[in-house]
Amino acid sequence: MMKQLQMIEVLEKNIDISLVVPLYNEEENIRILHDSVREVLDGLGKEYEIIFIDDGSKDQTFEILKTLHDDNPKVKIIKFRTNFGQSAAMAAGFEAARGEVVFAMDGDLQNDPRDIPRLLTTLEAGYDVVSGWRKNRKDKLIIRKIPSRLANKLICSVTKVKLHDTGCSLKVFRSEIIKRINLYGELHRFIPALAKIEGARITEMVVDHHPRKYGKSKYNITRTFRVIVDLMAMNLFIKYLKTPLRFFGMIGSLFITFGILSILWMLYRVYFFNKSLIDINVLLISLFLFMATGVQFFVWGFLADLIVRTGKRKSVYLTEVPLNGKTLAEESK
Amino acid sequence: MAVTNTIVHVPKLHSEKQKRIYQEIKLSTIVSIYNHGKNVEEYFLTLKSTLDGLGVKYEIIFIDDNSEDDTYSKLVKIAQQHQNVKLIKMRSHFGEASAFEAGFKMSIGEYIIFYTTRVRPDARDLPKLITKLNEGYDLVVGWRMPRKDGLLNKLISSGFNFIARKIANLELNDINSGIFVVRRNVIENIQIYGGLNQFIPILAKKQGYRIAEEKIAQLSGTFRKSKSISEYLQRSLDILTVVFLTKYSKKPIHFLGFAGGILMLVGGIINLYLFFYRILGYGSIAGRPLLLLGALSLVIGIQMIAMGLIGEMIIFTHAGDIKEYNIEEVIE
Repeated sequence: MMKQLQMIEVLEKNIDISLVVPLYNEEENIRILHDSVREVLDGLGKEYEIIFIDDGSKDQTFEILKTLHDDNPKVKIIKFRTNFGQSAAMAAGFEAARGEVVFAMDGDLQNDPRDIPRLLTTLEAGYDVVSGWRKNRKDKLIIRKIPSRLANKLICSVTKVKLHDTGCSLKVFRSEIIKRINLYGELHRFIPALAKIEGARITEMVVDHHPRKYGKSKYNITRTFRVIVDLMAMNLFIKYLKTPLRFFGMIGSLFITFGILSILWMLYRVYFFNKSLIDINVLLISLFLFMATGVQFFVWGFLADLIVRTGKRKSVYLTEVPLNGKTLAEESK
Repeated sequence: MAVTNTIVHVPKLHSEKQKRIYQEIKLSTIVSIYNHGKNVEEYFLTLKSTLDGLGVKYEIIFIDDNSEDDTYSKLVKIAQQHQNVKLIKMRSHFGEASAFEAGFKMSIGEYIIFYTTRVRPDARDLPKLITKLNEGYDLVVGWRMPRKDGLLNKLISSGFNFIARKIANLELNDINSGIFVVRRNVIENIQIYGGLNQFIPILAKKQGYRIAEEKIAQLSGTFRKSKSISEYLQRSLDILTVVFLTKYSKKPIHFLGFAGGILMLVGGIINLYLFFYRILGYGSIAGRPLLLLGALSLVIGIQMIAMGLIGEMIIFTHAGDIKEYNIEEVIE
């Protein structure tokens, strides 16, 4: 009975800050990470929880997490049955998070938990998302920094979210924003862009970065292709989520224009140069192909419209919500 | 859908004692039956004596998949005589997946045995599967061994198993036997799509459950006519379904974008070659079939990517329903 009452008390306690940390084979890092994070969060004087997601680790990660939990009741553990990837791990963490403010960071000790208070201050100044910027990045230049910088440029120019370092895992969100974001596939790379779709005010802040001490880096550069096609989809979501017909219609019009130009050119050749249709078979091909494809794109546009209308997304009308009693000020920038 | 199209016989529980005993049921055996009237009683008796030997409370759920013979009337008699037999009759021949769905919804056991009499498993081997499950697995597939089936059947089956092994990393010999013993929470946690009951092991493996197999003998004789060509074709196409479901169902653009990109590349190279061929004056390209190939592959490539984007749109607008992970344990 006593225990039940305590449980209810714990459940009802308002939590200010949730920290979500996805882990995959990080046995050497967890203890150090936990200790430094605990020190920083205790110093804030707020109610907090630390949510570790064990993404099907094959090493001792889960056992170490359990001992941490026995030691610190603010540690929560979500154990996946098998490895589902970072997006899934973060999605599970965000879903479980009960704090008004949700932090996310990697478990590889490369981010510095001492940046957390500053990020929080920036968020409270009137933003919904604050993303870390690893200005002095401590990684290998050729295989990590240069591809990352290129990817960042590409992602920023497509998603129109102006950040220097979208790949930095240390980020903070207001819970109403992060709870609206559905992460699946490999969308964790596009969290700022997804937040923008939900109408979030996003900014960045320089954070410390340390070289990797233990464990192996789980990133590799062979994912370029998937990033590029994912970006195409993100581009579509950002600009045309409500009106996909415009997107497909534009491409369709382009094809049809080419088709019409082909017809005109063909007629010109036939009338003025007395060519037979067989000789200008090139144009015939392009005419039929372009016209048919153009029409198809319009049809797909209708389909896409239909999908969006019958879809389950609620429309975005985010209103300003005061955080910790403070009213958000637009001009605080 | 299928469930509403059924006639259901559930044992009437009169006393409190009966209800209590009923609730103690640990094992639900779901058997899909189609045109099996000749020896259904005999089959039932074998099954019953085997399950009685296990020493746990069990129920048997027969699903008559709209048999054309007297299977149903015989099953009704069995259901009336035995308290722990439930009977579902499909209004039309909906197939094994629907049978499984309907049976599962009605079952209450913590362990589920499912099979269809079409694959003729010897019921006397079922305890072996349960023993295996208790060694620490979540799902045990029955491996029909020695197999008594036609050559074409075996061929399609081995092709299916080969691909399933490759994509799901599932080292089993007879994934699609349709005979399995499984823990209830596994089925509750994986989505079963129409017609996909034979993919349950693959989907379960993807969710991180532990899968094993155990040999089960096949009875000889056949209970149904041989299949048509189109049925074979459809079963082969099922393999494709598995590939899409397990690999690309959440990210269609990864597959369609890749395929479309390659087609565009091929088409682009062909067209560039023809372009320079014409510009540099080597001759006319108008009559060349290569031009048609180049233009077609370019356009089909673009179309594939567009299709991929539409797929992404479908997923994104339904993303709230997507749960891509399976939690084994939460410690708070």
